[in-house]
Order: sequence, then structure tokens, then C-alpha cells
Amino acid sequence: MANPGGGAVLNGTVHSNKKQSNNSQSKNYVKNGILKEAQQNGKPHFDYKPDVRSYDEAPRHVLFLTYMGYGIGTLFGYLRDFMRKWGIEKCNAAVEREEQKDFVPLYQDFENFFTRNLYMRIRDSWNQPICSTPGPYFDLMERVTDDYNWTFRHTGRVIKDVINMGSYNFLGLGVKYNESMKPVTEVLEKYGVGVPSSRHEMGTLDKHKELEELMAKFLNVEAAMIFGMGFATNSTNIPALVGKGCLILSDEFNHTSIILGARLSGAVIRPFKHNNMENLEALLREAIIKGQPRTGRAWRKILILVEGIYSMEGSIVNLPKLVALKKKYKAYLYMDEAHSIGSLGPNGQGVREHFGLDPDDVDVYMGTFTKSFAACGGYIAGKKELVDYIRVHSHSAVYSASMSPPVAQQIIRSIKILMGEDGNNEGAQKIQQLAENIKYFRQKLIEMGFIIYGADNSPIIPVLLYMPAKVSAFSRHLLKKKIGVVVVGFPATPLAEGRARFCVSSSHTKEILDTVLEAVDKLGDLLNVKYLSKKSRCPICFSEKSFDDETSFEYED
Amino acid sequence: MNVEVAHSELNPNTRVMNSRGIWLAYAILVGLLHMVLLSIPFFFSIPVVWTLTNVIHNLYKAQAMYIFLHTVKRTPFETSVQGKAWLFIHWEQMDYGLQFTSSRKFLSISPIVLYLLASFYTKYDAARFLINTASLLSILLPKLPQFHGVHLFGINKY
Repeated sequence: MANPGGGAVLNGTVHSNKKQSNNSQSKNYVKNGILKEAQQNGKPHFDYKPDVRSYDEAPRHVLFLTYMGYGIGTLFGYLRDFMRKWGIEKCNAAVEREEQKDFVPLYQDFENFFTRNLYMRIRDSWNQPICSTPGPYFDLMERVTDDYNWTFRHTGRVIKDVINMGSYNFLGLGVKYNESMKPVTEVLEKYGVGVPSSRHEMGTLDKHKELEELMAKFLNVEAAMIFGMGFATNSTNIPALVGKGCLILSDEFNHTSIILGARLSGAVIRPFKHNNMENLEALLREAIIKGQPRTGRAWRKILILVEGIYSMEGSIVNLPKLVALKKKYKAYLYMDEAHSIGSLGPNGQGVREHFGLDPDDVDVYMGTFTKSFAACGGYIAGKKELVDYIRVHSHSAVYSASMSPPVAQQIIRSIKILMGEDGNNEGAQKIQQLAENIKYFRQKLIEMGFIIYGADNSPIIPVLLYMPAKVSAFSRHLLKKKIGVVVVGFPATPLAEGRARFCVSSSHTKEILDTVLEAVDKLGDLLNVKYLSKKSRCPICFSEKSFDDETSFEYED
Repeated sequence: MNVEVAHSELNPNTRVMNSRGIWLAYAILVGLLHMVLLSIPFFFSIPVVWTLTNVIHNLYKAQAMYIFLHTVKRTPFETSVQGKAWLFIHWEQMDYGLQFTSSRKFLSISPIVLYLLASFYTKYDAARFLINTASLLSILLPKLPQFHGVHLFGINKY
């Protein structure tokens, strides 16, 4: 009788001789020629409530005033344009020569309306040149403007030790040169700076191979491939993975690089509402039932594009539900972990580890080395077949230069710190410090009464400011107090949601965070941006009746 | 403000009218306009004031908002589609040209409501009725879906 699996058949049931142990201790096995570690812990780390809480909304009068702000700004913009046209006011922007006034205009006036009349007024909050390493502190070059932000001039002075709340320096690895970076200079001396060749020609160095193997080990996947530029990783590899006849379902708030890659691929793109798994499921069902648009044929493949942490919202993708959906409908998942690699998960392995899922659940891991690893470049990781395909078909591998060797060495150094090789636990300390900082900062901001977005563990903390003038005032005031933040307004965000975006780093000590919190607290009172309802600030205070409540007493007559 | 611009919202102009609270802001603005007119002592009678509100609202629509919605083309900022909305006025850009969305319905209904109120308060006398009707028609016709992209006499085509 046939005896599959080595068990004896007895009364119709198969008894296997080998007892299968559920809790196997680091059983390594070989698959596809790659040595794989078994997943140690299959259970999720904690009972995760997905980040689908509805964000607190500001009261309506705030929104009304925001629209008023934009409206009045627009009216004044029209007035100023009128005055500029009729020569009452000097025009600082580019204009055409007198002789060419009748030609078809080279500079379209109205498309620059917003830039000219609204952005120019508050332009000094952006593009500020810094002149030191962007660690926890940085030095800012002082610049002043004599003509209301049309031109700037550097006074030559440097504002020293500005607290850095804007860099994506999550693990604090972006520091000045010190002795531990000696291997990087040795690589620089040996290999030089640039690799004047693409991966397919003469540009694959042993440093790249070393980094790719290390990256695969770090992420607990079969293989990885690295690229010289993070943006290009997305925009050159998504076209290699999908093409005409495929369907891309991408999150509303995906980064430009993902959108560009999706558009270049020629597939049909359908965006789904941000982090909304019901919407995604509805779209999946509709797509599978109806097929391709005109022909009704089945899709060649369906790819879901998400990010680990979204940089404008600070929200974390709802990965467990997403993976369940993808398995049910047999779609592929591409996850861009630009912000979440190194900053989430107990070992810094990203969103997948944060939720405790199996490494095979996500089909394509993508990430960048710009944020947590303090270098530049990107990677694609996953199964060996996938990465082998990418090695041959990626546009970047054919056409663009490969990663610079000292940069690769810096990433190798960062990963080794994170993985805790050489026995020291510097990496684990950094990750833990980051988690503590995040928790502390978020909690304090909520207590103070600011409306903030983002999941509770995400290192990106957008504080909502709503009105365009407050957005600019926030940035300027904090700079006076020597704190640097990034602020964003329309059109990068929806019309009424101007925000300031704090990025917490593990190199921030508690004193630094306290300084920032104190300044933000005072500024919040001054600008009146503490819109969080009293109930949400301190949920415990409102849940039980205080027993000092005198109205509950009864007076006896 | 161009920090990390471009998510999948290709033309943010299309979503402006759908923002939370903007209908309320619009209604409050009209109310304010009416208050301002009411407080000018030169015009005593209420009917005149209501006609004026209606007319100025439509004219304000016909000049300012008409201009804002129905004349001014393009977008006041650079979009990532590089000029797809080049020749479209704001009304046509709303919701990417999808007709009968809630914002469009709201903006179509508000002049009708004002017209009804103005007719009531002016007690339907002839002259004011003509003025009100004319201004209502001038603001309602461009909103019809049949007029999407139509340029009468070639005005404002490019």
C-alpha cells in the first residue's frame, strides 16, 4: 500500500511516527539554496487593535476660520495681482520683456497664483539651509529677507544648536564622524566614491553582495537587492513587476514614488481610502467579478501597494487584516517600509515584526536606507525567485548606477549595530529608547490638548494647526526658541488640515523632549490651537463620577 | 508648502468644495453679506434689501463667484498632471467633471433658495421679479451639465 509521509495506516487514519513539535527551537532549514531560520514566535506580540480610530475633528468654527483665511488671502492675492498688472506695485516674479508682450505667454500667471500670493508670504519656513549634521541638534544658517521673502540673504551668522524635530533620524544613527565609522573610510580608500556603472555591467561590487545578504538576514527573508536611490527603487521596480492587464490597488496617501512607478507600469490603478480595509475588499471583489475594463477578461495579477508608516499622517497600515484579505482574494502585497524599517518592531524589522506576522505573508518588501539607517538608497526583499527576477528585469539595474561603496559600508555598519552583532546591545537600546520617546511625546501632546494624527507607536507625529497663518507662525516662533520643525499646508495636505510634523528620534533625551514640549505648550496657548475636546484629553477623568461631587448628597431636613 | 507634494489627489482643486465645513462657511458668508446690506441705512425697505442680496449674491457670484467658479480657468497652483485642468473652469473641475455630486447640488440649490426668499420678500412685484429671475437664470444655466465645456460665442475658450 502506498505510504506517503512515513506513517502507518490504521483503520483509515494515518498515524505518523514522527511526532511533530509545535515549538521548534531555531530549526534552520534549507530552501531554494538559502539557509532560512524558522519563525521563532508565531503569535502576535500583543493584542493589537488596528489603527482605525476616527481622528478627532476640530470644531466647525475652526474650519470656518480656515476657509476664511484662505478666502481673504485669495482676495488680497487678486488685489495685489491687479496692482502689479497696472504698475502700481513692483513685480518681483519673472515677467516677459516688453517686446514679447503679444506673444503666447511663457509664464502662465494664474498657475503661479498660489505660489506668488500665498506661499511667498510664508516661504521662509521652508528650504532653510543647515550647516551641520542633522543629529538631535543642528546649526542653521541665518537668513533675512528685505523684500518680504522674494529674495533671501545670508547674514553670515549661524544659529547654533537648534533642536531637530524634523529629520527622519529615528534611530539616531546620523551623527558626526567618530571612530566607529573607521571601516567606512577604509572602504572609501579602497573602492573610491562612485561606481560609474550599472549593476548589469561592471557595477556589482562585493560590498553590494555583502549588504544584500546582510539585509536578507536582518529582514528574515530569502534574498534582497539594493538600489542607489530610494525614490528610484519604487519608480523603477513597480513597472518591472506589473504591466498592462494588471490591477494596482494603491492607498490614497501613497508617496509620489509609488504613484509614479504605478503610472509608469501601464497597469490600471484604483486608489482605495486610506487604511480602509472594507473599501479595499469592496474594490477587490468588484475587480475580480468584473474583470478588466473593456474586455472583461481576468486580471493578470492584482497588486496592493501600501506603506508601513505614512509620512504625512503618521498612521500604520492595518497589516493583519490586509494580509487576511490578500490571502482570501489571492492578490499580491507590496509594502513600502521607508519609515517603518528600523523604527517599528522589537528588533527594528519593520511593520511585519510589529504585528508578529510570518515573513512570507508580505510578497514584496521595499524600504529605504535614508531614514533609520542614515545613508541613502533602497532595497527590495522577498522570495529568492522574486529577487532573481528583479535582478534581471529592474529598470534601475539596467540603467542607473549602483550604490556607492562607502554608503553601502555605512548601511552594513548600521545593520550590524541594529542586529546587535559583536555582542553589544546598542541597537536594542536605541530601539527601546525610540519607543519610550514616542510614547512619552504622544501622551504629553494629547494631555496638553493638541489634535494629533497617527498610530500610538508611530514616530511621526503630525500636530494639526488648520489655519495657514498659524502654520507659519508655529514654525517661526519655534525657530526663535531654537527648535526646528517641519510644517505642511495646502496643497500637500487637504485644504483645512495644515499641520506641523514632529519626528521623534532615539537620540532625543528626555530633557530635549521636555524643552520642546514646554515651548509647544506655550505656543499652543498663544496660537490657540489646542482643539482636542476635554473628554479626549483625559479619558479617565470623565469615565467615573468623582466622589467629591456634592450634588449627589442629599440634605436631610 | 510643497513638502512631499502629490499623493493620489491629482488636482486638489476638485476637492476644495467637498472639504468639511465649507458649505457652512459659504452659508455664513451669504448671511454676513445680508447683514451688511441690512445695516446700510440708505435703503429702508426689506424687499429692496432682499433683492439686493439676491442680486449681489448672484452678481457676486456673477462677478466674484461667477468669476471664481465659472470664468477663471486653470488652477492657482501647479498640479502634478501638468496642465490637465488647463482649460477648465473651477465648476468643471469640481469632482473631476462628475455631475450631480453633492457639492454641485448644494451650489445649484443655494441661488434657488435665495431667489425664493427674495421673491417672497419683494411681494412678487414686476420689476424686481424680472431682475431676480434674470440673475437666477444667469447663474443657473452655466451649471447645467449640458453646458459643461460650452463656450458661447467663443468667449473664454482659451
